[in-house]
Amino acid sequence: MMRMIAPDLRRRVLGFLLDLGIVYYFIHGSMYLYLAVWGRKTLALYSYFKLQHDYAFFNPLKLVAWQWWLILAGTILLVILLRTFGRSLGQRATRFALQSVVGDRISLRQRVVRILLLPFSVVATPFQLLLPATRRQVATHGPLHDALSKTSVGLYIKPSDQPRRPIWKTQWGWVVLALLGITFFLGWVIIDAEPEALLSPSEETRRQISGFLRPDFTHLMTPEPALTQNTPEVEKQKISILNLMVITILMALIATILGAILAFPLSFLGARNMMSNSVGAMILYRFVRGFFNLFRSIEILIWVALFATWLGYGNAFTGVMALVIHTIAALGKLYSEQVEAIDPGPLEAIRAAGGSKLQIIRYAVIPQIIPSFLAFTLYRWDINVRMATIVSLVGGGGIGMLLFWYRHSRNFNELGAVILAIIIVVWTLDYISGRVRERIV
Amino acid sequence: MPEMTDFGYKPPSLRTWKGLSETFDLLRHRIASRLSPVFLDLVAVATLWMMASYMFSWLAWSELRYFLVPGWVYFIGVIEAVAIWESFGLSIGQKVSRTQLVGPGLARPTFRQRFVHYLLWHVSVLPIIGLAWRHPLHESVSGVASVSVIRGEERPAPWYQTSSGLLVFALMIVSLSAAFALTVRADTWTNFISNYGRAGKIIAALFQPNHSLWRNGIAALFETIYMALMATFFGVLLSVPLSFFAARNLTRNPVGRIFYTLIRGFLSITRSVQPIIWAIIFLVWVGPEIAPFAGFLALFVHSIADLTKLYAERLESIDNGPIEAITATGGSWISVLRYAVIPQIINPYISFTLYRWDINIRMATVLGLVGAGGIGQPLIRYLQGMRYKEAAIYIYLIAALVWGIDAMSSRLRRYFDEGRPIDTQTKKELDTERYVKSEMAGRAR
Repeated sequence: MMRMIAPDLRRRVLGFLLDLGIVYYFIHGSMYLYLAVWGRKTLALYSYFKLQHDYAFFNPLKLVAWQWWLILAGTILLVILLRTFGRSLGQRATRFALQSVVGDRISLRQRVVRILLLPFSVVATPFQLLLPATRRQVATHGPLHDALSKTSVGLYIKPSDQPRRPIWKTQWGWVVLALLGITFFLGWVIIDAEPEALLSPSEETRRQISGFLRPDFTHLMTPEPALTQNTPEVEKQKISILNLMVITILMALIATILGAILAFPLSFLGARNMMSNSVGAMILYRFVRGFFNLFRSIEILIWVALFATWLGYGNAFTGVMALVIHTIAALGKLYSEQVEAIDPGPLEAIRAAGGSKLQIIRYAVIPQIIPSFLAFTLYRWDINVRMATIVSLVGGGGIGMLLFWYRHSRNFNELGAVILAIIIVVWTLDYISGRVRERIV
Repeated sequence: MPEMTDFGYKPPSLRTWKGLSETFDLLRHRIASRLSPVFLDLVAVATLWMMASYMFSWLAWSELRYFLVPGWVYFIGVIEAVAIWESFGLSIGQKVSRTQLVGPGLARPTFRQRFVHYLLWHVSVLPIIGLAWRHPLHESVSGVASVSVIRGEERPAPWYQTSSGLLVFALMIVSLSAAFALTVRADTWTNFISNYGRAGKIIAALFQPNHSLWRNGIAALFETIYMALMATFFGVLLSVPLSFFAARNLTRNPVGRIFYTLIRGFLSITRSVQPIIWAIIFLVWVGPEIAPFAGFLALFVHSIADLTKLYAERLESIDNGPIEAITATGGSWISVLRYAVIPQIINPYISFTLYRWDINIRMATVLGLVGAGGIGQPLIRYLQGMRYKEAAIYIYLIAALVWGIDAMSSRLRRYFDEGRPIDTQTKKELDTERYVKSEMAGRAR
């Protein structure tokens, strides 16, 4: 309804909400910082002098220490001030500005009148919008506080002869600086940054680094006995660095090929230009696209955890299944975007010659998409090898079995050997696939 | 290269430094271009043999053996197979580098010529230095030459009639069957049939999440977002200056070349180690009590390596015109940077940064699985404790986060890749028109 009556009003509300979000983020963030940094210090001081204190007040996880309505009111007030005196970030983003209807400059009186009348205007505007079209002054004169203060908020195009003001003299420059600053400090507190911890490595760190510098390849070919206790006799020989590395590469290979084979037909269903406009086709298209997006958003390791309870822990095929599911979704999306970007010329030509749907796909679509499909598939193989090295963290098999076992048992020399093997394989495959992709595309 | 025609070819003089370096480049180019097809053939044949033995020994005797023959037999066998393939057929290396053996007058080489080529291949190709000659021994004595092929209008032979096509096919079949044979355990299929109830239990739990955990989940979500944000922020701070030393076209002088090689080598090793392995390393270093910091460091190190590579590749492809124009008018290097380089790279840099932020968020969600902070940490605890109703909250939050960030960053990236959307100008004009109309209508009343 609002779209029909007052398009400008919609954008004004949008800009206002944007400002509200920015200011609320700033206020909320600074309160979090206060509680997390100074609150902790005060708390330490209190307990040092054995004073009574309200622990809940200083708990940084209890974000709002004051009454919520007070914070909301303060936020709204600040937003109104920012929007009335100067051009706020929200106004900039919606390309709007406050302008005076009489004269060039907006006087202080006009600004104060606007602020004072705003509450009335917020109440009155919805009723004004309900009036019949002939008497709907809100569309022409703006809401109450605009009309009475003789100002208007509307599209602002800067005259080309007006020089650009330096960033530090504009409101948005200050606001962006404040946002960056608060984000940086929040991040610093939230990630528990302690750079001094890096400078004073523990004894174990020294052991780790010296272990990495002297990798121990005893289990390159011979199985690692610690991991073979509950394994059937036949499976034991697989648990050596070389065999697990080959299995990891093969896991990625089979997952990529299966994924590509399954994603290929699905990608045509997920391409807008391949589907007709009928309701059923649209539902199918939406469904396939939703499937791609949803299954891509769930991390591979979560898929592994799910399949591990089903197919068994420490099973390479568990990792393969998880990789296949994720590969279908990821490749399907890339493929279908590629299908959507093809040149429609050959399509029209074959359709005009009376070709069937399958003939169109065979002779007009596939020749155009083969190179990029191959490039995407190679790229995906690369990613799958990387992922296959770590899927065993949650029971997926592959070289990660040794990686996480040596890490768990603090066996740093052998951990160094495993990491070195992973680096060599990943680097080589990355290099080869990069070169091949350069050639194809 | 200058040796394309035999007429008028003059080798570079060996008396000047320039001539020496040109000679060196020429020899390097000859060796590299002749050796790379041989190398590809060797890799292809060696892989096929190894995969075939691997699969055969596993299926026949339930043993994992790589060669089935003594190592030296494998070694010599691969080399001989490649020599024979390159002399008597059209090898995959020759096919990829688009070369072919021809006799004098572009005739088909005779069997005798091929045989001489095969014999002398060992003398000339095996000690790599033989490839540095302008006419290597195995080609000059046998009278055949390896020439570039320009494909004409005729259809290429189908893959099943060429030896390289058959080799690739065999390699795929063998690798796929080996992959199936090795990854599927004896209990996989029984589990597949009898254990589906367990997966069903998880899926059922996904529909009855424990709603009391939303608050903790969202706190962990923010930790994840800020980990990725800080890693990207610091990564950009370090990568932007580093990228200028990692761009080939900006490091032409010898000192710069040393920097370039060192930085590129170091970064490509750093990039090959996944963030999750970096997290393991840093967790030992800074201690598990500040886990999010370890996660941040892992993402930070990987971001530097990745971003520097992306940035440097972009720098390598900038247009030299504006740089030369500003240098010609006597501008300092700062003005060259400000007016010629930065305008060309700013949008791609922002786009790459957004892309990296997207990846960092995805990575940050799984770093917790090794205990490095973020939303993955409670998730893995609940998954290992089989408390799927609790885990469901975290799975939902991760999916929503990844989905949202992905959509946002792809939209923003499109904006920065293509500049403003094409219709913005017309939309602006329409807005102005509509605004003026409504103003005029208001005044008129």
